[in-house]
Amino acid sequence: MTAKQKTPTIIQHKSFPRFDLGQRWEHLLLILSGLVLLLTGLPQKYPSLAISQDILSTPEQVNLIRQVHHIAALVLTLELLYHLGRAIVLLVRRKLPGDMLPTWQDVLDAWQMLQYLLFLRKDKPRFGKYNFEQKVTYWFLFFGFGIMTFTGFIIWFPVQVTQVLPGGVVPAAKLAHSTESIVAAIFILVWHIYHVHFERLNLSMFTGRLSEEEMQAYHAKEYERLTGKKNQPGEKS
Amino acid sequence: MRIKTFLLSAGAVLLLLALGLAASPVTAAPQPPAAHTSGQHYDAAANSMCLTCHDQDGMSVQLKSGEILPLTINATAFSEGVHGINNIPCVTCHTEISGFPHPDRTTETLRDVKLKYYTSCQQCHSDEFNKTLDSVHQRALASGNKNAAVCADCHNPHTQKPIKDMPRSEIPVICSRCHSAIFNQYKESVHGLALSEGNADVPTCIDCHGVHNITDPTTQAFRLKSPTEMCGKCHTNPAIMDKYGISTQVLNTYVADFHGTTVTIFQKQSPDQVSNKPVCFDCHGIHNIASVKDPQKGLEVKANLLLACQKCHPDATTETYTDAWLSHYIPSQEKYPLVYYINLFYKFLIPGVLGPMGLLVVMDFVRMLINRFRKPQHQASPAHPQAGDHPTDEEIRHD
Repeated sequence: MTAKQKTPTIIQHKSFPRFDLGQRWEHLLLILSGLVLLLTGLPQKYPSLAISQDILSTPEQVNLIRQVHHIAALVLTLELLYHLGRAIVLLVRRKLPGDMLPTWQDVLDAWQMLQYLLFLRKDKPRFGKYNFEQKVTYWFLFFGFGIMTFTGFIIWFPVQVTQVLPGGVVPAAKLAHSTESIVAAIFILVWHIYHVHFERLNLSMFTGRLSEEEMQAYHAKEYERLTGKKNQPGEKS
Repeated sequence: MRIKTFLLSAGAVLLLLALGLAASPVTAAPQPPAAHTSGQHYDAAANSMCLTCHDQDGMSVQLKSGEILPLTINATAFSEGVHGINNIPCVTCHTEISGFPHPDRTTETLRDVKLKYYTSCQQCHSDEFNKTLDSVHQRALASGNKNAAVCADCHNPHTQKPIKDMPRSEIPVICSRCHSAIFNQYKESVHGLALSEGNADVPTCIDCHGVHNITDPTTQAFRLKSPTEMCGKCHTNPAIMDKYGISTQVLNTYVADFHGTTVTIFQKQSPDQVSNKPVCFDCHGIHNIASVKDPQKGLEVKANLLLACQKCHPDATTETYTDAWLSHYIPSQEKYPLVYYINLFYKFLIPGVLGPMGLLVVMDFVRMLINRFRKPQHQASPAHPQAGDHPTDEEIRHD
């Protein structure tokens, strides 16, 4: 109807690449294996719950749950090894982008963000490619998955482990493994899911791209760096 | 002719009457005890009648099997027994005896004699008797094992003392009549040795296996319930355990750790499942339970514990492996410090890190909502939009 009128006002939806295909696949593998690990791990962590007892009611089911957990663990381990291996290869070739490394600027950003949330500032701080929240997400889960993988193999192979390490590491690993999993689950649920679903729906991890508007609004510094343009909508400073 | 016939008949009747009178003292005498409404005095008198013969030494009879059935009843022992004290008439059980001569014996073997009488106990002891009907002994008997224990195998009806007067140490001795190999293990165990020293806290056979309704201890159900319903009964009771400095946390710690967790789930969910998860007696021994502090056999000696582990984990070869299980300890700075400190770490990490993160998320959400409510005012003055502050889709399209 008014298509003709609208045509000149159509905005060129310029978008910026954010995650390459490999990174998006890694993320998908993390979701899938992590979810399976969580679902098969929770009944073992909370065995006194009625639903856990139904799941673990026979030796066959206990074995099944453990086998599924082990398979998902192997998938996750391979994915983590790939992730680390890729980072090392890039590092050796001097091609590893440093955007994810925490910097002093992140501390300042966090401080400004806190001021903003306390109504002490009018504006959110302007972020680079990854803001401090996203870096916290990455590194929190980086170490979380690291702990769970490391401890997971200790409790998977206690006989071999205790041939070189004192036996006490096995119950310690068991405790760290299961507690860390809860910490990671709560973290993802509260922090990550809030920031990518509720604060705004950010699907760049699946589409691979961020729109110009999103770049301007949430990654102003990165937008500036890539385009040489200042932030468009009413940049104050 | 008629007179002669009459005289003959009358003579025969008289003869029969005379015979009958001659026999009557023997047959009539046991009658009063049989009618035991007549009171205890009569009963005692009747028993004394039996004992006039059966108190004699050396009375016996040879059965068809060739076995000798002793028939002597020691009157003193009987009178001190619970049946003697209560003046229970012999014929209460020996119902086939109503006079002398006694009827012919139909039982062929000594065992048959006992099996013939055991059902008579239920006349007075119906509760106990009914319990035995569910027992492993009764099942064995029903399946044709004549040696399975019946009442009189444990309780000699002629000498059984009142139960309250029996020393507990007597119980394993009674079971050992058949289960001698197990008794020999038990008497050397920490429980058996203490019992022989007069300790009243340690379990005898019946504390674990039950009395009368003794269940089959070889079933999975028995295995799976043993920690909570057998060992746990005493070992969680501080009234008993504190005397010996034994932890009452042994069951809790077992249930909290992997073996016990699985066993208690199976116990509830599928009590008949065959499970290879260990219960108390798999590590501590069944009848030969030793103190964990025993220098030779105690599980506090790592080499002994490793042997216990190896029953299920044969590839475990180093003693360090035994520490992979918390050994009923609650982690502390002294025992399993690594576990203790990791637990402490997470106690601070969870509220200390996840808490503030949650708070930030809530604050962010609140500010976002407030911004959204304020939005119309900003749109009214597009000259002054909030920079970088949630430019919503509409806002961008307006530009």
